[in-house]
Amino acid sequence: MSYFFQLVVSGIVVGSIYALSALGFVLIYKSSRVLNIAHGQIIAAGAFITYALTVWVGIPIYLSFGMSMIATFFLAMSVERIFLRRLIGEPIISVIMVTIGLMSILDGLIYLTPFGTENFSFPPYLPTTPITIGGVSISWTQLVGVIITFSMIAGFSWFFKKSTIGISMRAVSDDQMASMAIGISVPRVFGLAWAMAGLSAAAAGGIIGNITGLNFDTLHAFGIVVFPVVILGGLDSIQGAVVAGIIMGLIQQFASGYLDGNWGLNGTGEVMPYIILLIILLFKPHGLFGIHEIERV
Amino acid sequence: MKKNNVIKWTFLLAAIGVLTLPAQALAGEVYKLGLSLAITGPTSDAGNPYSKGVEDYFNFVNDTKMLGDDKIECTIRDDQYKNDITKRNFEDFLDQGIVFYLNYSTGSTLALKNDFEEEQIPVLPASFHAGNLVDSNYIFLPIASYSAQMIGLTEYVSKNHKGGKPKVAMFIHPSAFGRGPVEDVKKAVAAGLDVEIVEVVEHGKDLDNTAMLKRLSSKGVQYVLSHTVQSPVATMLKDASSLGLVATSFGEEGKITFLGAHYTGGNDLVALAGDSAENFYWTTSYIVTSEPGEGTDLQLALAKKYNRDEKAANSHNYANGMMVAQVATEVIRRAKSKGKEITKETLYEELLGMNGDNAFSPKTTVGDVTFSETDHAGVDTLQLYVVKNSTFMSEGSPFVPEYTDKIK
Repeated sequence: MSYFFQLVVSGIVVGSIYALSALGFVLIYKSSRVLNIAHGQIIAAGAFITYALTVWVGIPIYLSFGMSMIATFFLAMSVERIFLRRLIGEPIISVIMVTIGLMSILDGLIYLTPFGTENFSFPPYLPTTPITIGGVSISWTQLVGVIITFSMIAGFSWFFKKSTIGISMRAVSDDQMASMAIGISVPRVFGLAWAMAGLSAAAAGGIIGNITGLNFDTLHAFGIVVFPVVILGGLDSIQGAVVAGIIMGLIQQFASGYLDGNWGLNGTGEVMPYIILLIILLFKPHGLFGIHEIERV
Repeated sequence: MKKNNVIKWTFLLAAIGVLTLPAQALAGEVYKLGLSLAITGPTSDAGNPYSKGVEDYFNFVNDTKMLGDDKIECTIRDDQYKNDITKRNFEDFLDQGIVFYLNYSTGSTLALKNDFEEEQIPVLPASFHAGNLVDSNYIFLPIASYSAQMIGLTEYVSKNHKGGKPKVAMFIHPSAFGRGPVEDVKKAVAAGLDVEIVEVVEHGKDLDNTAMLKRLSSKGVQYVLSHTVQSPVATMLKDASSLGLVATSFGEEGKITFLGAHYTGGNDLVALAGDSAENFYWTTSYIVTSEPGEGTDLQLALAKKYNRDEKAANSHNYANGMMVAQVATEVIRRAKSKGKEITKETLYEELLGMNGDNAFSPKTTVGDVTFSETDHAGVDTLQLYVVKNSTFMSEGSPFVPEYTDKIK
């Protein structure tokens, strides 16, 4: 039975990190209906800034983690201001193409640094002995990752439900023209959405980097790995990202734990989330929590 | 008047020609080579130091006049690990008139195999995939194939395991590169190598390997043999460490001993996995800089001469790049000393003759490079290393896997 619970715990850990990584997509899509293809690069940048501040500058990791979130907050805000602000009102496909270009630019910039082609790992700052209860283990890195993830998700949920700016952002997402008519600055909302996505990306990068080590390929790949989570959650729902992330994490662990190695099966942990995604989308084409918009002509 | 001018100009041009001829002759020949590899993109953590090793060694050859007044001009191009770019680079190199080609990935080596046959050009890739040699006359592996490496590790497990038949799992990259050695290891087991292969796991981009590790542990697996790149191995080692599954000594009962082939190990693994890399067993044909010797001294001196940082200087992939440049230089030197014109044909002949008394010792490897009509794998010898205090240290003497020949 401890095997089952171990898979549950691991599934929740992985799933919550997926949710945090997916959050950046959701925040941008929620306000601007744009899918930021360069999100993986911002995740990687966040992890590298944390490392640079911790190891090269000598700032304690807890502080550098926060500072990297601030740095990516402004980095993403600048990206929006420089590259995307002038595309407001242009077809969405043009904006997505710009994010693809942005991905290449960020790739190129990161390859100019040692992080592009070298591997690093954060210095140990947490106890290395895992917490084990009833035969179920969780490492401190994973536990801290889960706590940060859920704190951030709770914070963002509160922000969108209760704060004036958050409600403005939801309004822009619903109807840009109507929002402008009531005095909401749509460009400001877009900038803020990008900035918040940058902030969540740095958090995700820091956590993933602690788990896998700092390898650019591995880190930026998470921008794509979490795509099924974003789609399953419904693209614009924070709650959806959390639920979909945990579903995906659990499916991966259970498939790997119970199917792989039996009946000649292998790699089901990679494939099963996509199969489940397809099945769910057959019945809920807008994802689990996506909004089904009905347009009256 | 006009006639006088023509005569004057003719004499002038002839004089210039006569004067510049010796200068041209003194300048020597330029031998063109090409290298296409991933300096950016996937696996660039290996490709980057590899390219530096190649570049520095050829610069060293030219700067120290190792080939007299002749020079090697090796064009190095980034292909971002994309086969289509590799092909385009290779075609450009052909247009430039290269006489020897250095390739990189398994995928592009397999994809361009027919092109190499058509062009009849000798090729040394950074991929040690045994399948590169199937139906190929012109590809040469610098060191023992991945299959030989994995068989070598399996033999080590079989010989050093205490108790009954050791249970092993293979942890491989989901690609031709990763899958290559699986069948060969299975053939070796069928031929009498005394291990039980419990499972072959193809990894993905996993954030957590708990399910896999628990599953393997519950099946009694005591050894995981990896053939992939460092990053997934590092994640697995970290997970195994946090689950308390890593053996602190080889074959410790109830725990798992982790082993891996060339591209799983080296300093990059320690950089990624940190303390979790302790007691990881790794095999390659290269000598690592933590084991000082003539070859590593040369490697470190070369890196210093060309202002490389510590990381590149100590990378086994820097040694890897340096070694293929050494082999290419050696065949040019040998052809030249025999008075042969340097062409792809003569260099191919020299490679095939690199055996017996003519074997080549680059000093950066644990054995000599030998090639022949029937043997296109360079260094057959392997060395086992184990991580102790974050450093790869030799474990035992260099060895040649016995079952590689038995399964041929």
